[in-house]
Amino acid sequence: MYEVPLITADNFVTYMLNGVSRGMIIFLVASGLTLIFGLIGLINFAHGAMLALGGYGTYVVLQTMDNFWLGLGISVVLVTLLGYVLERKVLYWLYDEPLLGFLGTFGIGLVIEEALAVQFGSRSYTIQSPIPQSTELLGVTYPSYRLFVILVGAVVAAGVGLLLTRTRLGLEIHATANRQPTAEILGVNTTRIYTVTFVLGTALAALAGALTAPITSIYPTIGLDYITMAFLVIIVGGMGSFKGSFVVSMIVGQTIAFGWLVLEPTYVRILVFVAAMVFILYKPRGFFGKPEVHE
Amino acid sequence: MSSRMADARELIRGSARRPLLAVGVLVLLTVPILAPGQSSLATEALIFALFAISVDIVLGYAGLLTLAPAAFFGLGAYSVAKVVVDYGQSFWLGFPVAIVLAIALAVVIGYIPIKQRIGNVYFVLFTLAFGAIVTDFTTVTTSLTGGSNGLGFFSPPEVLGIDLGDGLPYYYFTLLIVAVFGLGIYRLISSDYGDVLNATRQNELRMRYLGYDTNRELMIAWIVSAAVSALAGAVYVGMVGIASPSLVSFGLTGDVIIWIIVGGTGTLLGPFLAAIALVFTQELLQTIWQGGYRLLLGLLFVVFVFVFPDGLIGLIRGDE
Repeated sequence: MYEVPLITADNFVTYMLNGVSRGMIIFLVASGLTLIFGLIGLINFAHGAMLALGGYGTYVVLQTMDNFWLGLGISVVLVTLLGYVLERKVLYWLYDEPLLGFLGTFGIGLVIEEALAVQFGSRSYTIQSPIPQSTELLGVTYPSYRLFVILVGAVVAAGVGLLLTRTRLGLEIHATANRQPTAEILGVNTTRIYTVTFVLGTALAALAGALTAPITSIYPTIGLDYITMAFLVIIVGGMGSFKGSFVVSMIVGQTIAFGWLVLEPTYVRILVFVAAMVFILYKPRGFFGKPEVHE
Repeated sequence: MSSRMADARELIRGSARRPLLAVGVLVLLTVPILAPGQSSLATEALIFALFAISVDIVLGYAGLLTLAPAAFFGLGAYSVAKVVVDYGQSFWLGFPVAIVLAIALAVVIGYIPIKQRIGNVYFVLFTLAFGAIVTDFTTVTTSLTGGSNGLGFFSPPEVLGIDLGDGLPYYYFTLLIVAVFGLGIYRLISSDYGDVLNATRQNELRMRYLGYDTNRELMIAWIVSAAVSALAGAVYVGMVGIASPSLVSFGLTGDVIIWIIVGGTGTLLGPFLAAIALVFTQELLQTIWQGGYRLLLGLLFVVFVFVFPDGLIGLIRGDE
């Protein structure tokens, strides 16, 4: 049996911050997925491969130019471009066929992951943290890099949230998701909206991959682990709900951070998956989903 | 359309069907003689072929895309390994145990989603979660499944003085099982039940109005598929002698989906042949370009999804 350790105040803050930083990474992956699913209805299984590419891109640039930030920037830009090309040239044709869309993105993801495995081998690479210092916060010493990840996640959440609720583009995305033909008639270029949303989602995945590299190390199938979790997060949060993906990512992050005190980490993951299965069956729109989900 | 393609079509569909079938059966019977030393590879190919058609019942005929076929395959493998290694019982007891457990698990997992008609997209995500749970569960419950070490080693017993632990007898044992259950599935799919499944996939609402209990029909397909997948897993573990987490992994799920798509969904021959061909291709490539096989497999799969969604069989049959 697992002994429940006593939690001191310091430990509590550390665990909570661990949960937040982990939750932020999950959120970056899940929010991209939920945007793509909510708008396009595409189960984008290539999302994880985009995350892996973001991580490996950062690694390669770091090796050659010895600059993490440059690596992060370059890899996010390149993966975003790849997302653009994929959407325009390949995936666009599959939007009316959800199952074919799933199979197509599954295949593309497989090709990318295997190409990474051929190029880099299936071993995992660790990346030195670009900010190795620690910061005093709430009475504990905490790695600055993780605080940076939390900051980036918060900025992205606020930024994309504002984009979706306060701008013309956000309105057009909502309109397209709601009634694509009506939006088209009212002058929205829905083809462009699809592209913008897909590319934005892909950029978030690449960012997540680059940010997670110094924390967890990278390996070719890293994406699969993340998107399985992310898919379940967006189910519980409500398909297509940006707010839902944020709230549930935070809950999952905290559950994993504190859950291991009472259970083995894998059991915590299993619990999260079970919760998601129950949600699919009894509350498929999740916490924040709209009454109507487009398939 | 090239005339050679048309010729090939004629050959498959027309008068040459029976001779081709006879040649196929002859090849299957004489593989160990034609290619000595390859019998374990041939056994593996046959088992995966049976696995592929069992999953195609659900994917191709019932139209439910599942991401957890490896869970049932692995359940079959682990049941046999558990019965033999941990409980010291007979190898043969493992088979009914595997099938009964698979049916029970299929009912538990499939009953509510099929009854609620959660829709294709949600079914994919539901089975994704289920598959992930099974994978995690297998690696974490060390006392039950041996964790990442797996459960092994053991070899199949002697029957009537023939040692099944040998590669050659085990090949024929596998061939027998695959033949019996493969033909069984073929009979099931060519019966009225197969038509009902096809029609349900195409228009479930209409089938309900016609008075069919479509939930029951889908449930039957789901259970049969799970049971045969588990059986394939059980035969597989007899060959390799150890049940390990790779048998429940998402990688195997991906493989079986690829075999089915490449072969042609909604056909039995296509996935059957594609699984055999790809297992042999993997072995061939292993010596030339290690690690490249899965990359090529991915590319092949993408080409089939985007260009030939009807698979090899669709290519041969052409537009009818």
